[in-house]
Amino acid sequence: MEAAGAKETREDGSDIYTNVYLEVQVFIENKRYEMCAKMLLSLAALTLGGCSSDGLYLLKPEGLISHTFYHYFILDVVIMLFIIVPTTLLTIWAMWRYRKGGKGSYHPTWSHSSTIEIIVWGIPLVTVGILSYLSVKAIYDVNPYNPGVISKVQKANGGDPVEVDVIATDWRWLFIYPQQHIASVNELVVPVGVPVRFRLTSTSVMNDFLIPQLVGMIDVMPGMRTKQALVADKAGTYIGYSADYSGAGLSWMHFQTRAVRMAQFAQWVKSAQQSPQHLSYAGFDRFAKPYIAVGGDRQIFGSVQPGLFDHVIDEVMRGKVWPTPMAMTENMVNYMKKQRAEQKAGDY
Amino acid sequence: MLVHLQGPWTPVLGRLTLQQIPYENPILLGTFTFVAVLAIAILAATTYFGKWEYLWREWLTTVDHKKIGVMYCLLGLIMLFRGFIDALMIRTQQAIAVGHEAPGYMGAVHGYLTPFHLGQIFTAHGLIMVVFAATPLLVGIMNIIVPLQIGARDMAYPYLNALGLWLTTAGAALVMVSLFIGNFAHGGWYGFVPYFELPYSPGVGVDYWIWTFQLSAIGTSLGSINLIATIVKMRAPGMTWMRLPIFTWASLSTNLIALTSFPVLMVSLALLALDRYVGTHFYTAGMGGNLMLYSDLFWVWGHPEVYFLILPAFGMMSEIIPTFSEKPLFGYATMVIASFAIGGVSWGVWLHHFFTMAASPSVNSFYSVTTMLVGIPTGVKVFNWVFTMYRGRVRYELPMLWALLALFLLLVGGMTGMMNAFASSDYMWHNGLFVVAHFHMMVLVIAASVFGAVEYWFPKVFGFKLEQKWGKWFFWFMILGTGWTFVPMFLLGFAGMTRRLDYIPYMQWSPYLHVMLVGMVFYVLAVCFFVAHLYVSLRDRVSNRAGADAWGTGRSLEWMTHSPVPAYNYAFIPHINVLDEWAWRKENGLTELHAGDYEGIHMPKNTGIPLFLGMLFMGLGFALIWRIWWLALLCVALIVGLIILRSFDRDTDMTIPAHEVERVERGARDETPATARSAGMPGGAVTAHSALRPGTDGIGGGTTSTNPSWAPMDR
Amino acid sequence: MRASAAQKVDPAHATLWARHYPGHDMIGTRTFGFWLYMLTDAMVYAALFASLGVLSHVVNLAGGPSPSAFINPVYAYGETITLFLSVLIYGYSMVALKNGNHSGVIGSMFAAMLLGMVYLVIAGIDIREMFAQGIIPEASGFLSIFFTIIIYHALHIIVGVVWMLVMMIQVAREGFSANVVYRLINLRLFWHFQAVIWVFVFTFVYLQGMVV
Ligand code: HEA
Ligand code: HEA
Ligand code: CUA
Ligand SMILES: [Cu+2]
Repeated sequence: MEAAGAKETREDGSDIYTNVYLEVQVFIENKRYEMCAKMLLSLAALTLGGCSSDGLYLLKPEGLISHTFYHYFILDVVIMLFIIVPTTLLTIWAMWRYRKGGKGSYHPTWSHSSTIEIIVWGIPLVTVGILSYLSVKAIYDVNPYNPGVISKVQKANGGDPVEVDVIATDWRWLFIYPQQHIASVNELVVPVGVPVRFRLTSTSVMNDFLIPQLVGMIDVMPGMRTKQALVADKAGTYIGYSADYSGAGLSWMHFQTRAVRMAQFAQWVKSAQQSPQHLSYAGFDRFAKPYIAVGGDRQIFGSVQPGLFDHVIDEVMRGKVWPTPMAMTENMVNYMKKQRAEQKAGDY
Repeated sequence: MLVHLQGPWTPVLGRLTLQQIPYENPILLGTFTFVAVLAIAILAATTYFGKWEYLWREWLTTVDHKKIGVMYCLLGLIMLFRGFIDALMIRTQQAIAVGHEAPGYMGAVHGYLTPFHLGQIFTAHGLIMVVFAATPLLVGIMNIIVPLQIGARDMAYPYLNALGLWLTTAGAALVMVSLFIGNFAHGGWYGFVPYFELPYSPGVGVDYWIWTFQLSAIGTSLGSINLIATIVKMRAPGMTWMRLPIFTWASLSTNLIALTSFPVLMVSLALLALDRYVGTHFYTAGMGGNLMLYSDLFWVWGHPEVYFLILPAFGMMSEIIPTFSEKPLFGYATMVIASFAIGGVSWGVWLHHFFTMAASPSVNSFYSVTTMLVGIPTGVKVFNWVFTMYRGRVRYELPMLWALLALFLLLVGGMTGMMNAFASSDYMWHNGLFVVAHFHMMVLVIAASVFGAVEYWFPKVFGFKLEQKWGKWFFWFMILGTGWTFVPMFLLGFAGMTRRLDYIPYMQWSPYLHVMLVGMVFYVLAVCFFVAHLYVSLRDRVSNRAGADAWGTGRSLEWMTHSPVPAYNYAFIPHINVLDEWAWRKENGLTELHAGDYEGIHMPKNTGIPLFLGMLFMGLGFALIWRIWWLALLCVALIVGLIILRSFDRDTDMTIPAHEVERVERGARDETPATARSAGMPGGAVTAHSALRPGTDGIGGGTTSTNPSWAPMDR
Repeated sequence: MRASAAQKVDPAHATLWARHYPGHDMIGTRTFGFWLYMLTDAMVYAALFASLGVLSHVVNLAGGPSPSAFINPVYAYGETITLFLSVLIYGYSMVALKNGNHSGVIGSMFAAMLLGMVYLVIAGIDIREMFAQGIIPEASGFLSIFFTIIIYHALHIIVGVVWMLVMMIQVAREGFSANVVYRLINLRLFWHFQAVIWVFVFTFVYLQGMVV
């Protein structure tokens, strides 16, 4: 019936789709689409103009692990674009060419072709094969418990890693340096170029430990111990936070990571050890009560009860909880006032 | 009262006290006033126009699969609207509360929503959108279309069908109740343990979440039993498996997923409920519980669930694209295989939702690879749609536009999904906005397909087409909104911004957050256009009247009965000879729908019991949430009693007499304009002429008010 | 499969309508749906047994008693015997159904129901004794899942017993109508299924518990 049919029906005023068909034609002929595209593009430029790439932390890796991630990430995206872009173009081409009234020839019963079927199964299959290989390799390279890339560095350079025990409370981070017997709240200081190995646990609920520019996530779970490792490439200050929903204080549960030269690190340790504050389990018990660290609330403990980390895990496994008061943040401002009155900093 | 609760508890009212009504919160007060006024207006209007009887007879007690489907869709749309309002609030809060100098209002330190309040909003948004908007919309459309496509007169279990609807509605209603009595969960739609355990979520919010989720899970499982049994047992003679319309195939695969996965959800929720109600230790950190068990159980359901949502959407695209390309679906058999491959693999990928939970690298590798495998059958689907258009004659009417939008969104969502599956990358952005943007692309595939399907099948159900002008504005503004909201969101994902923040400390991100507000403005306009779309369509319904084969190029069986469809679907059960039976009949000029003398038709009778059961289940949920034990027991007793009572009812069926059938058939108003439309088939002279010449009782006349009416639904 | 394949059907001789179509086999459809329902219940059990697997390590005892210390094999055997006997006798009621024998159906169903009740009594005593010793679900992760599984199974038995009661009345009232027959068949499926599940409960909860 082809074009003739279309004309036939066009005489019938009630026919909707021919109207649409006409509209599409008009749209194309008037180049309205170009206008639209221009408008959209300028609107897009206008709105995104204010955005800078400063904050795109994942695209600015500064650590061995995050560099490794970045490397595979780029590979992954490029390979995928090799298939997604042609698919998009093919779709648009088919939409254009085979539109009603377009140039494409119409084969009303054509619906099968073994060649094409083989191709459409084959291409994704091969792609997924390649991606799988890369993915597995990447997983071993950045395995938090024993990252391939860090092991390699350590084999080459030798040297002892720095150990840090991380305890996530509601809603602060406590970093214990067991070798140095010090602890720091909401601030992590690590030496540049030296592997840092973490052991992590949580007091109450699940958290997720993330320093976007240095290392990816690992869950921090109560009554359990997980591990993570990183090497910082460059001195600097990096943001870190909990990436898993842990309650009202989550948004403020962030910490600063300062990567400093080894000498500076030693100096920082020394000065920290001067701090008169001691952290025992009893003190920790109070410290771990729900507290929203709106002010950043950094703090240093000059000495820490040995084995505190394992002790906390044991207690939690025995059923210890640090409960959240009912609807504690219905009125947050009031809650903060109360909280401040109850918990004066340093009172452990 | 079996466990230690914070706050008071009394035997009569349980935990319910006057303080639980949040009258000091202006937002909720406003909402409440709005809802109350709306409800009163609706009730008053129903009374004023004397429509109670009609409402009761034709809708509330119906067991007609089409009406039940329509009610599912209405529920879905209303909840979609609610979810959208939630999204608006999330976005405005996140645009205001940036940087530590951001002002705070209404008890919040920054912005206008406290963590407690924002938490409820994103939790409700996620839960509502997934189980009370997307699921009812999809189930509703399957409910309407599947029996039509297989030439059945009803579902296998019409009574169960109504029960599924009312259970889902009860769940949705409870979510709405949580706005005004008590509060909702505030920790994310999929729940966290031990965060959702009593010590860390002491209020009733999590209980609301558990029981609403549970109700919808039961409703959906019942629905899946029904749809599977319908497809397996109720096909018209001659409809072999390889003649099954593709949307029916999609429904079958998706309901097999639902059937097997929803029970796991029920278990994961029930164990959490036990922890909270009787103090067991399934998911606690101490006392021998295992909190990772929850993640496993939940996502063993949760991942298949997302494919449960997407497969019907794929099915809709697979129906729309051939119709508007005016040729058969390319690679029907591979399309079927792909659906089942997706369904099958969906069972082996759940761990990708917690790659960061310190599983060994070999385990993560396994799940990374299985996850990527899903890309293969999905890719096949994409290519098959493209090759359906290839050598076709593509018409860009609204359903087609939506289907194509869904296709492009699928490319974006699929690509980013594959990026998530690359575990080393997921370590960086898990729980981040990149993931959120990924799945919004995917759920918008569903939304787009659903809007396409609504446009597509609307004339079948209501007998007239939706107008196109406002519909197009709606379409384009949904695209604009999506672009402006989610492109910045992907970028923020690369910024490492995580989800569920009520305060954003880093000023560098604020431009993106502001751009997203522009997107929300587009979305608001889109919703306005949608309302206009519906209004204008309803107003002009007479001039948009459609024939049986509303689009002229329909291919499957549903286009072979009148629009709107009579209560009994088919006066004569068709015998199926080929795949795409209707297209084949048109090609061969076999479009006569009148096959001789009418016969009486056996149909199930209306019943109010499913509605009562739904109400009782809602009461039970409410009682359990507030721990009002006597009320819970009462509801259980009444539920059991009602079920038993119903089993004694012998008067559940009836026969529509042949003369009634004849009367309805004669009144069927789908006479296409004399010329009819081109069937888009070779030898274009073939017309889609389908109806009998209207008799004396013409359109809309004569067939009203039989009790109950078998005539099409809007009479 | 292909459109061209469609052309192979000769339109001139094709049957277009299924006139006088008898409709669908009601009993078959109902039983099929019940199979599907049982599949969902099997999935519930699968999830519960998987949880049992996860929660069966030493840490999950939280220092509390291990199953070998408190599981009483006598009760477990008693439950096994009553349940299997009940299923067997229910089988006789199905034979009676085939013969169209009303009182046969009611009689053997009554016996099956009584045995189901005996099962419940034994289970009740067993649980009460454990509770009395402080072996309660709140005591540890393992005990939580242990009791959940056995109580969930017992709930099914209660449903079965009530269902049998209802069916006896219905058989007496309306004889073997289609509705009654499909329900009797579904109840048979249900009751057999409980025995099958019991095998798993017995093996994984009781036997394995006693060995560990
Ligand atoms: C089907 C699922 C679905 C859908 C459709 C959507 C749609 C949208 N969602 Fe949603 N979202 C989720 C599921 C969904 N979401 C889930 C599961 C989460 C995670 C929750 C959690 O963290 O736990 C989430 C979280 C989430 C967040 C993350 C908050 C955070 O963690 O930081 C945000 C933020 O912007 C957001 C925004 C949006 C927006 C802007 C839309 C828009 O696309 C909305 C577009 C919709 C419309 C424009 C409405 C159109 C309505 C009609 C046409 C009906 C009109 C009807 C009447 C008038 C009766 N969503
Ligand atoms: C309908 C919903 C839907 C669908 C269809 C999908 C589809 C996919 N999803 Fe998505 N996903 C969600 C909804 C959905 N997802 C939700 C709601 C969440 C988060 C829940 C929450 O945390 O709140 C989530 C989270 C999520 C995660 C976890 C992220 C995290 O939390 O850290 C992952 C990780 O692997 C993932 C992967 C995938 C993949 C690989 C697909 C694949 O199926 C995609 C396949 C498609 C394509 C690949 C495109 C088409 C194919 C081609 C054109 C062929 C060629 C291409 C290749 C071979 C590469 N998804
Ligand atoms: Cu998650 Cu241990
Ligand atoms: Cu998933």
